[in-house]
Amino acid sequence: MRWRAPLLVVGIAFGVIAVAHHAEAAGKKFKIFLSMSYIGNDWQAEAANMIKAMAASKQYRDKVNLEVKVAGPDAQRQIQQINAMVEEGAQAIVVYPISPTALNQVVKTACARHVVMIAYDSEITEPCAYNVHIDQLEAGRIPAEWLVKALHGKGNIVVITGVPGTSVDTERTAAAKKVFAKYPGIHIVAEGVGMWSQPVARTVLTKILTTHPWSSIDGLWMQVGCYTAASMEKEAGIPNDKLKPCAGEGSNGHRIQMLPVGDPAVAGAHGTYAPLGGPSISYASPPYSGALALKLAVEILEGRKVPKFTKLPLPIVTNATAKLCTKGTWQEMAHGCNVFQPAIISNPGWFASIYSPRTPEVGLQAALNGKPEQ
Amino acid sequence: MSTLVLGARRRPGRRHGWRVELGRHRGLIVACAVFVALFVVVDAITPGAFSYFEIHFMSTGGATLALAAMGQTIVILTGGFDLSTGAVVSLVNVVLASAMGSSPLSEAGFFGVALAAGALVGAVNGFFVAFVRMQSIVVTLSTMFIVQGVTLLVMEKPGGTIAQGFASFFSGDAIPHLLPAPIVVLLVAALVWRLVKNSRFGVGLYAVGSDEEAAHAAGIRTGWVKFWAYVLAGLYYGAAGAFISAETGSGDPLVGQPMLLEVFAAVVLGGTLLGGGRGGCIGSIVGAYTLMIIVNILLVLNVSAYYSSVAEGVILLLAVLAASLNRQSPIAFYLRLARDKLAARARGALAAAHRGGAPAPALPAPARAGPGGAASWFARHGEALRTILPAYAGFVIVLGVSQAVFGGTLANPGYYNSLLVLCSFLAILALGQGAAILTGGLDLSVPWMIGFVGILTAGLIHGSDVVAIWAVPLGLALGTAIGAVNGLGIVLLGLPPIVMTLAMNGILEGAALIYSNGTPSGFASPAQRWFMTGHFLGPTPVVWFLVLFALAALLLLDRTVFGRRIYAVGNSTLVARLSAVGVGGTLIGVYALSGFCSALVGILLSGFSGQATLGMGDDYLLPSIAVVVVGGTLITGGRGHYLGMLGGVLLLTALSTLLAGTTLPNAMRDIIFGLVLLAAVLALRERKA
Repeated sequence: MRWRAPLLVVGIAFGVIAVAHHAEAAGKKFKIFLSMSYIGNDWQAEAANMIKAMAASKQYRDKVNLEVKVAGPDAQRQIQQINAMVEEGAQAIVVYPISPTALNQVVKTACARHVVMIAYDSEITEPCAYNVHIDQLEAGRIPAEWLVKALHGKGNIVVITGVPGTSVDTERTAAAKKVFAKYPGIHIVAEGVGMWSQPVARTVLTKILTTHPWSSIDGLWMQVGCYTAASMEKEAGIPNDKLKPCAGEGSNGHRIQMLPVGDPAVAGAHGTYAPLGGPSISYASPPYSGALALKLAVEILEGRKVPKFTKLPLPIVTNATAKLCTKGTWQEMAHGCNVFQPAIISNPGWFASIYSPRTPEVGLQAALNGKPEQ
Repeated sequence: MSTLVLGARRRPGRRHGWRVELGRHRGLIVACAVFVALFVVVDAITPGAFSYFEIHFMSTGGATLALAAMGQTIVILTGGFDLSTGAVVSLVNVVLASAMGSSPLSEAGFFGVALAAGALVGAVNGFFVAFVRMQSIVVTLSTMFIVQGVTLLVMEKPGGTIAQGFASFFSGDAIPHLLPAPIVVLLVAALVWRLVKNSRFGVGLYAVGSDEEAAHAAGIRTGWVKFWAYVLAGLYYGAAGAFISAETGSGDPLVGQPMLLEVFAAVVLGGTLLGGGRGGCIGSIVGAYTLMIIVNILLVLNVSAYYSSVAEGVILLLAVLAASLNRQSPIAFYLRLARDKLAARARGALAAAHRGGAPAPALPAPARAGPGGAASWFARHGEALRTILPAYAGFVIVLGVSQAVFGGTLANPGYYNSLLVLCSFLAILALGQGAAILTGGLDLSVPWMIGFVGILTAGLIHGSDVVAIWAVPLGLALGTAIGAVNGLGIVLLGLPPIVMTLAMNGILEGAALIYSNGTPSGFASPAQRWFMTGHFLGPTPVVWFLVLFALAALLLLDRTVFGRRIYAVGNSTLVARLSAVGVGGTLIGVYALSGFCSALVGILLSGFSGQATLGMGDDYLLPSIAVVVVGGTLITGGRGHYLGMLGGVLLLTALSTLLAGTTLPNAMRDIIFGLVLLAAVLALRERKA
């Protein structure tokens, strides 16, 4: 009896294999892997969809054989995963790195075996890797400068950061604080950890508001959470024209709130997911970066010269530039629209910065369903 | 000491040496068998023969977890629990990455620093557990926060480098193309463990874990054994931190964070009994590599990302099940019990059939309370008060500090209202988690039960109050049912609660991802939002609800048969069973209750933020345990009171509210949080001699 049970496990395991294993149709395509970290948020899902759409687009479907794998929030596991990909004969690996440093050794090994390593959104500090991301210092500085200007250099502000201990959060927050430090009239009255999540932002803001009521706050600088902040102001009975200036994320909900009150073109608005005309600036770490990284990986494999660091322009939307998309095709976005109908995007936390002049293969359908532009 | 335990079970006349040996190492043998089986699977499905490169990277990939799990095993053998593992690994990593030079002397010196840092944290843990007699889970939870804070002080973002020599010494080749260095590292670690195990101290470890009283009576200095157990565990964590530094070549303050639950899974897979006395570090090495190989299998098979957490959960269950299925297994027991019951019913021999004949022993009339009735009330409830009051005292102090720092909070009704709204989530979770802990278990499926039910109901509701009328009860029923499945697994399959609920957590994570396709699009209805953010006769509606819920919870635990059975099971399963308490039914009920509470929190949270998001429950697992324990509940079960848990909720929520209103650096907040936690439970320590 003692041995039957383990045998059972093996039997079941083999059963799993029989079902799940399907032979890979290997053509003369580039074998490229996508190593993602955490899939449990909107940003990651959108980025993954756009990468898949890019691989499925007519420009790339005959060139690329893309396999997507997810490591979860554990650097150890991603190391293991990248190793396995190298073993399987990857020619290029597109990575969302969990840690900018923990992967360095394995990346070095992969490079030594002539695998193209390219990271999107976050960075890999190992010099042989390619990186595609925005300048995080800019992402902290520009919204902070806007906020200072909106407050005329004077006022009490609340700062909501991201995930402590990450490079992205540390750099953005430090850059913003450097700006605030230049203006003696600006006082940071409270600082909360927002974990880049709307629900966490709400919990933290609720806590802060118990000791600093809205009347004592003049503006907000948040890495994620302006949508939530505006919703909470509405709940507290603050009229639209008294909403606090908020420098924050590129979520669709935030951008819809930035449109002028009563914008007749907006369909499907409800509650506070509606045009409020709140004074805001919206910046983003755009989710198309993965799709662009895939494109660059192919270019490198085809022998073209690509710089080690591709700096993405920081998407910035203010009340003056917020413009509603009706269909969300790449063509339409190329003409400057940057926020989508609530009727289409029912989740206000969805990230709206999906346009890049460099990725005409992917539009709204790519971000939503992984389907390339026609 | 394990010989003694097993010796008692040995049947007379069948004293074969090898059988005893086999029984003694059963956990380890099964763990190895599972590992070998999985290894064969990996080998079969991986194209090409197994190369040295693969062996090298596999041995490297699992070594950190294996070392950390060895340390954890030592603590668990003494009956303890160490939550500081991952935090210590991170701390060591950043210390090495920020200060190590590249001379051989510096490299060697910093390996010493790594071990010393681990041992130091271990000594702090050990001191409070062994000599101040505090519960290990609270002590290590506090040190986890403090160490996290210190880690961020040392290094606020990833960076630094580890000298190349150090890196290749630990994660390179010991003999090129023949023997990877990680294997040597693990051999040395295993050798150290063998030496420890065969020493007097090693015998003490097992003795303390098996029966502390008996060990004390046998002349073992139990305090010192526990203290050194934590120090030794710290040394292993230090080694794990050094190893991960070598593997990654740099520092990252968050590197150890996701290890916490994996370490427990590795220990359990390795055949070590939670609660102490049985198992060993060698099994934990095997367990760690089994976990790693599971990941490898999923990688090779290219299991869809959404299914991989489900697959991991299921494989974890199967692996542990493999170790427990036999004729003594609970399912066999319950099958026999059911058969006997049916037979008894057929004969009309059930106890229920003899209602009239129940003997009623003549009890002496209860002594009348004297004139000092109040005093006797205190006397009767002194023990409960002593465990409940510290949390409230801490709460009052935090309120005082808040008043002093911000002014005007004490007299501000809005402050209390917001505080209670924030408390509502933890207060509800505390009932479920508290009930599980009172029976001596733990519910780790809380995070994704919240996430899954929140996402599912929000997806169905999609802003419609009409749909909410049936979707909310459906979500609650589903949570209850899934919780009951947890209970069934624990009762019928005899799975340790940690394993069952951890696996369920993974399965629910997968379910939430599959249901939402990675991007939950649902949102709460206006009524849900009003309930969490509107006003009703002054306060927010959920505050009124919280009052009712707390009253119901108090009645449930204090005044119902079910409540009394929970305590009975927690005090002693055996005594409970002999006292005709339906142990299985009670446990299933407890986990169903916990599922219900988590589901309720999921629905309330989606109302609170207006939408449901993946990972929305992640921040509630450790707090849900912390509030229960801070409220005076014994982690081993049997003692605790919902009033105390409420006090714990108030204290921790008020404290985090106070810290959120400041501009203190995050690192300092972690440290303060840890210190307050530690101070709050200092008063709870066991006062036994």
